[in-house]
Formats: sequence, structure tokens, C-alpha cells
Amino acid sequence: MATITLKNVTKSFGNSRIIEKFDAEFADGEFITLLGPSGCGKTTTLRMIAGFEKPTTGEIFIGDKKVSGEDTFVPPENRNIGMVFQSYAVWPHMNVFDNVAYPLKIRKRPKAEIQEKVRNILEEMGLSDYEKTMPSKLSGGQQQRVALGRALVSESGILLCDEPLSNLDARLRKKMRREIKEIQKKYAITIVYVTHDLTEAVDMSDRIFVLNEGVVQQVGTPKEILETPANDFVREFIF
Amino acid sequence: METKKRYFDIKWLFMALVVAFLLVFQVFPLLYLVARSFISDGHFSLEGIKRIYSYGLNLSCLKNTLITASLSMVFGVVIAFPLAWLVGRTNLYGKKFFRTLFVTTYMVPPYVGAMAWLRLLNPTVGTLNVFLQKLFGLSAAPFNIYSIGGLVWVLTTFYYPYAFITISRAMEKMDPSLEEASRSCGASPVATLFTVTLPLMLPSIVAAGLLVLVAAASCYGIPSIIGAPGKIYTITTRIVDYVSVGSRESLSDATSLAVFLMIVSFIVLYVSNFTVAKKDYIVVSGKSTKPSIVDLGKWRIPLTILVSIFAFIVVVLPFATVFATSFTMNMGKSVFAPGNITFKYWNTIVSRQSIIKSTGNSIISAVLAATLGMIVCVFMAYLLKRTAAKGKEIPDFLITVGSGTPSVVIALSLIMTMSGKFGINIYNTIFIMVVAYMIKYMLMGMRTVVAALSQISTSLEEAAQISGAGFLHRMRDITLPLILPSAVAGWFLIFMPCFYELTMSNLLYSNNTKTLGVELFLYQTYHSQQTASALASGILIFVLILNVAMNKLTKGKFSI
Repeated sequence: MATITLKNVTKSFGNSRIIEKFDAEFADGEFITLLGPSGCGKTTTLRMIAGFEKPTTGEIFIGDKKVSGEDTFVPPENRNIGMVFQSYAVWPHMNVFDNVAYPLKIRKRPKAEIQEKVRNILEEMGLSDYEKTMPSKLSGGQQQRVALGRALVSESGILLCDEPLSNLDARLRKKMRREIKEIQKKYAITIVYVTHDLTEAVDMSDRIFVLNEGVVQQVGTPKEILETPANDFVREFIF
Repeated sequence: METKKRYFDIKWLFMALVVAFLLVFQVFPLLYLVARSFISDGHFSLEGIKRIYSYGLNLSCLKNTLITASLSMVFGVVIAFPLAWLVGRTNLYGKKFFRTLFVTTYMVPPYVGAMAWLRLLNPTVGTLNVFLQKLFGLSAAPFNIYSIGGLVWVLTTFYYPYAFITISRAMEKMDPSLEEASRSCGASPVATLFTVTLPLMLPSIVAAGLLVLVAAASCYGIPSIIGAPGKIYTITTRIVDYVSVGSRESLSDATSLAVFLMIVSFIVLYVSNFTVAKKDYIVVSGKSTKPSIVDLGKWRIPLTILVSIFAFIVVVLPFATVFATSFTMNMGKSVFAPGNITFKYWNTIVSRQSIIKSTGNSIISAVLAATLGMIVCVFMAYLLKRTAAKGKEIPDFLITVGSGTPSVVIALSLIMTMSGKFGINIYNTIFIMVVAYMIKYMLMGMRTVVAALSQISTSLEEAAQISGAGFLHRMRDITLPLILPSAVAGWFLIFMPCFYELTMSNLLYSNNTKTLGVELFLYQTYHSQQTASALASGILIFVLILNVAMNKLTKGKFSI
């Protein structure tokens, strides 16, 4: 079950509080967006779910399994999550196929299975002709698709996205938004999506968490956020 | 608790092993050496320090070191600054060629210079002396290499590249608009040089000078080849003499001198670190800013000729001399005299068993030092750049300190601590040399790996981690392949100086572990200068080939 639960999660670096008591349950198959200006703590929250940051206090569950808590910490490599990075993070020394196949190879899946799954994903991403291409020969949009394919290939049921479209031009961004949404429906995965772009959030999300200075300002559907902003900050942010 | 154990991160085990290595083989020996110099008969005492200036032999070598090193510093900077400016900032003819030429000298073992100038300026038979005597009809030889002046000359010609590289670097980094602003205010290029460039460069110039000072003061090869016949002793040659005497008293004199040299080096390097934050000596091609180029006008040709003459005297002449000597049958005659050319010395160096064995030893120990050194560097650079561990800068600092420690001091500290007294006995084995080489030369590898890691986005490694790859897999699949060109370059940068190392090897070798540097030194001093010259030429050719190989392997990104 691909649910994500955060219980009383806080995060401090030294004396500064980054996240103030984050409590949330993300349902199976839900598209969640963490929305807010830069420095609001949205990326830190995502990185805590991924396991790149340890919460200062509180607990995080993936499904029923506690992955982060007082005496528990499961490192990212054992959390079985897909993630797309802002900078794509496509490995420049591996071709498209090897990039996408990596999560399966590292988990020692049989060769035939790897072949089949990677081919399927590449077809889905429109990259079938680029199997042997090195990333430096790809456009930004194509690299983004490689990163997306790599995050989906292990069928973990959870996809974390850290501003994945911010490096693309406006037209491509619109197209990718639709594609990500379609993928989500098709694979029935839970997505946690970080962005500072209101249009992106409204266009794709089931629920939006608006954050400012580490504090959740409002939780709601895009409609609720747009029609009944909870406070001045949200009102100004959506304006 | 179970979960904690299960997810124990193996990287910390590697980090701990590497840190333990540094503590045991570098920190402990050096601290022991310092402690030894302040303790006599189990009590704290300044007796050892007192002997440095109260004992005539010690005092005279102290003076000689101070005089020769300071003069080399002054001359080195006086030569390096205008050269760096002409090569980096003007339209001098062939400046790229000159740059490569001057920088390459950095990779040449200094003792080669000593051998060459010995041959050229020997007071009775020196080739250049005889030539000048004939040319000007002089009654006596104009120069005597066996003098303080001779020592300063060779030290300067072999250590000015340190200053040249540091100053060139700083010039490249300087914002050219500062100079352009001066020009647009009406200042001539020369006025700009003295009112803007020079003052701005002052910190780098000071740092460059201090670098030459420490290098010249710590040098052993040149003063032992040139100083010893002229009875001019320096701290380093004195320490080696004391160690070879081997008595208790002489060892404690060696220790005091070594600690003194070490402390002075540390203070000087600390000061120079203050003046410039970062310095590394490898040349990474690809400049960040385009400097404005000064038109030399009518001076272009005369200055090019001047730089060419300098290059001829400082680079071409000594190397050609060593090369020619290796083919000379009778050293009293010119190599071109009829019947005086011979290949027997080259034949000797490729056929004599002891030389072949020493070459093997040098290759093995340099390969081990470079390989183990790069392992240390990769882990410590990773610790520094990729973890949040407390004190992660300490290993980097230790590696920097190691490279700043004079070679004789490193060797002496290892002799004192690694001969079984404290449970580890690697004396008389190849490993004591490998350890010494690593401590002295790892910094180059560390710098290249740190620079490479800084350029790789952490998200590349995080993407592998989220894909399920643990530390070792991430290292193997992502980090290492991405830093490979730099790691290869780092490997060569450690390998090359280890391959021809003389100072430490000379103190640490045993009959079975003689290295090429030691072999060459013994031939030069006791047996046959021609054989030594053939060896030196062979080493030079090998180093040049390696440099080309490194350039090719790293796709032109790195060369010396």
C-alpha cells in the first residue's frame, strides 16, 4: 500500500526551524502538491520522505512501515521510492537504457525482466528510439523523461517530484504536466510533488499543502484553495 | 536497536580505516618527533633546541639554509613575476610554448639541475667555465658552482616554477576589468602594471615567495650534490649525515634540526595560506576569464629574445648537458671530440642488475603509493564534500600538512617510530617508503578529487540512492566513473614525484629496497656521473611520456 504518513515531523538545522510540526496522511493513488515560495520547507519535507534528511523529531511511515522515527531510520536505498530531481540527475556516463534499468539492476532482477520493463517504460516515455543514446545528446525534455522513466521502472507505487519541470520551457512544461497526470492515473501511484508554481499545483493535484516558513498554511483541493484561501498569506500567494 | 544494526552504513568503516591510517603513520610519528626534541632523560628540556645554535656545526648549516633559501625566494619571485606577466598578459611571441616549458620544469627532479650545473660550472673543468674562459681570455674560471652563490643559482632555477605557477594562476583569476579601468583612466600598460596589477597581486606574490622559501629550505638533492663537495652544509644535508652516523646523540641532533625545520615550514606555509586562500599546482586547462592582452609594441621582439635566452639558460642548457654527459666517454673532453661519443652508459642502465632492480622497486613503490594514496584521497574527499560528519575537514588538513612537511622530517619521523619500537616494524621494507611518499605527495590527488566532486551535483548520487544503491554500489556505478578523469590525473600526479623521489628514499632504503633516485644519487656521488646522467635522462624521458599519457587519458583536461 502506497500511503505516506507524517506524524509530528519537525526539522531544524542548528537553531533554525525549517519544518514546524508537519502532520499529514497521503492516501494511496493521491496526487499531493507541496506548494510555497522558496525556503518554505517544501523540498526539505520531500527529502525527509525520501530519506535524504532525518527529521529532528516525529515519525514517517510508508504504508504500514515506519521508515523514520526516534530509533528507526531506513536509508533512501531501502525505502523503495521513485524520485525525479529538479536537475534531472540523469547519469551522463550511462546511456538511456542503462539509466532507466539501474533501479532494477541494483535490485538484481533477472535480465529478461529488466529488458521487458525498461522497453515498456521507454515506449511509454516516447524514448524507444533512444535506448543507446547518451544523455548529453538529448534535449531537456527528453532527459526529464529518462528521469521519470527511471523513477517509475521499479513500480514502487510512490513517486516524489522535486520541481521537475522548472528547467523546461513553458510549452514543454504544459505538455509534461499532462503526461505526468496520465501516468499517475495509468499506474495508480501516489505522487508527492513539490513546486512554487500555482498553475502546476492547481492543474495536477488532488490536494495541495500550502507552506510558508515551515508551517502548513492550508490544506485543500485546488478549488478550495482558490475559492476560500485560509489566510492572508495564501490569498496573496494565489493572487 | 535491530533496525539500527541492519542499516549500519558501511562507508563509515572505510572512513575510519583511512583516518586511522593517517593517525598512525602521519600524526603519531610527527608528534613523537616533536616530543622527542623537547624531552631528554625523561624530562622536559630545551637542551636539544639550545644545541641548534650553541653547536657550531648546527649553527653554520642553519645559516647556510637561511641565506640560500631567502636568496632563492627573492630571485625566484623577481624572475617569476615578469615571466608570468609576459607569458600571461602580453602578446609575447610563443607565449604558450614558454608557459608549457616553464611549468614542465616543475615536474623535473631538482637533482637533475644540480648534476647539470655541476658539469657546466665546475671551477676547473666546467664546460661553460672553460668556454667563457676561452671566449674572453680569462686567466681563471669565472664561476664556481661549489659556493653559496652556486647553490642559490641552482635552487632558484629549479624552484622559480613554483612561484611562476602560483603567480600565473592569480593573474588568470584577476578581474581584467580592473586593469581596463586603469587604462581608460589614461594609464599606460606599464603604469597599469605597477599601479594596479602589482599591488593587487601582492598577496599571491608573497605566497609564491614563501612557497619557494620552504621548498628551497627543505630541498636535499641540490645541496647534497653541490653543497657537500664545497663543504657547504644545510639543515637537510646535516640531518641526513646525523642519521647515517646513527648514534644516540647524533639522532637527537637530527631530531632537533628536523623539528626546527618543520616548525619554520609550518609557520611560513600558514602565513602564506593566510595570504591566498587556495593554491594548487596542477594546470587545469580552460580559463574562466579572458584577460586583457597588453601590446608590447616595439618591445615585443627584444622581450621575446630575452625570454628565449632565459629559457635556453635555465631549461635547455641543463637538460642538454645532462643528456650530452650520458654519451660522453671522457669527461675531460667535449662530447663532440672525435671518438668521445659512447652508448655504454645507456647500455649500463638497461642491463645492470642493480639498476633494473632499483627501477622495479621505484615502479612498485610509486604504483603502491599512488594507488593507496588515491584510495585515501577519494574517501577523504567524499567525507569532506558529501557528508556532514563533525571534523570532516581534519583529514584534508592533515594531508595538506603532510605535503608541507619537509621530506627529511617525514623520513626521520618514520625511522624513529616504525622500526618496531611501537609494535609496527616496516623499516627496511618497501612499505616505509610507500607510507612516506603518500604523506608527502597525496595532496595533489586530494586537490583534484575534491575539485571533481565539487563539480558533480549531489543529486546524481541521490538518484542512485533512491534507486536502491547502497554506498559501495553508488561509489562503483556513479561517483567513481564520474570522477575517473580526475582520479587518473591525481594518480599520475602522485606517481611521478614518487617514481624519482630521492630525499626520503635516501634515508629509508635498505639493500633490497634501493630506488631509482638513490641509485642515481649513488652513481652521481661515488661512481660515474655519466651513468647517473643516463639515468636522469631516462627518468626525464619517462616523465615526459607519462605526462603525455596523462593528457591523453584525461582527454586533455590535465597536464603538468
